[in-house]
Amino acid sequence: MTKRGKAALTICSTAFKTLGHAQASALGKKDLPIAVMPHPFGLRKRDEVRAIAEKCADDIVQLMTKAGAK
Amino acid sequence: MVSTPAATFEALDDLDAINKLYRERRWSDGLPIVPPTRERVARMLAGTRRKPDEVIATLPPGFGEATVERIAINAVMAGCDPEYLPVLIAATGAVAEAQFNIQGIEATTNSAAVWLVLNGPIVQQLEVNATFNCLGQGTWANATLGRAMRLILQNIGGALPGDMDRATQGQPAKYTFCCGESEVQSPWEPLHVERGFARDVSTVTVVAAEGTLNMNTHSKEAGELLRVIAESMVHPTSNEYCHGGEPWLVFAPEHADILKAGGLSKRDVKQRLWELTRMPARHLSVKEILRAQASRSDEYGEIKPETLLSISRTPDDIWFIVAGGPGTHSVYVPCFGNSRAVTREIL
Repeated sequence: MTKRGKAALTICSTAFKTLGHAQASALGKKDLPIAVMPHPFGLRKRDEVRAIAEKCADDIVQLMTKAGAK
Repeated sequence: MVSTPAATFEALDDLDAINKLYRERRWSDGLPIVPPTRERVARMLAGTRRKPDEVIATLPPGFGEATVERIAINAVMAGCDPEYLPVLIAATGAVAEAQFNIQGIEATTNSAAVWLVLNGPIVQQLEVNATFNCLGQGTWANATLGRAMRLILQNIGGALPGDMDRATQGQPAKYTFCCGESEVQSPWEPLHVERGFARDVSTVTVVAAEGTLNMNTHSKEAGELLRVIAESMVHPTSNEYCHGGEPWLVFAPEHADILKAGGLSKRDVKQRLWELTRMPARHLSVKEILRAQASRSDEYGEIKPETLLSISRTPDDIWFIVAGGPGTHSVYVPCFGNSRAVTREIL
């Protein structure tokens, strides 16, 4: 997407953060913004998941704003 | 498509020092390697007429270019003979096909390993073990071909454990997993013929295997034999039921003979297993029912607790070979689920 000039962002959990950064780097997009959420979700209660999602939404806005400013 | 030559470096002519270097740089699978010197790589490359800079595939998750030369380097490291190189070139091309989903297999937390199944004259030519202990230790071709495949995925594809290989535990088959089909012992057509190749063509089939389950049964009746095998295949933690997978089996020659004597063709065996392995969705956890719903709503619509889920989408998605020595042991090879095996001719 970024190679086509579109703004792009990846979301992953902490378990896949290393993979996400490594793959972005391998594809020549070392600066690809990645929003990271804590892993795992399975044992979390609904209100905890909501809080994680809200925090992630804030992170996405921040990361995209930062990426757009470059 | 061609690529640049592999990088070279100078090292002391000392096996211990070279293995220390490989250990530090994580270029090995954890076992000592055969140093891939220029001379050894040149000897390995004599095993093919392809040019060293030909790109066979680009391998996720690191998107490294698998040139013939880089495949040869890893083959040397694993201890392969030059005659093995065409197998690895074909296997590398096979794992890169979209339907195999090597990105998913390498980056997943699942234990999936790449299993190489060889068919045709190459099994005899390379002395690939398809009989006694064919999934175990002791045969050079089986051990080093499977190992080389893993090194290719790790060193060219970049799937290093804990980095881009995210397997929770992995499994021993990630060191090596390769065997032949014992076509002379099989009462049916061999795997590669079933998959559209001529009997005298040599092939390699790549399978995304979660592991192996030994199934010991002294049953001598075809219907009963299939029932106990099917019941061994049913397990609620299987990816196959979530995705409609592609389970594999290795039938012992004795078991295959019982099934044939019972009048069953390969297609009959698949159909019976497909029916006998259906499982009520209530055996899955609630989360797995949701996963199945996401993957299989086109087949089932809404999946309810009483919905009978099949292990694969169709009976033809169940595959098996005949291999092994005397004995009453067949093997279930549960698979990744989100993958389809690929067979390629060895040229």
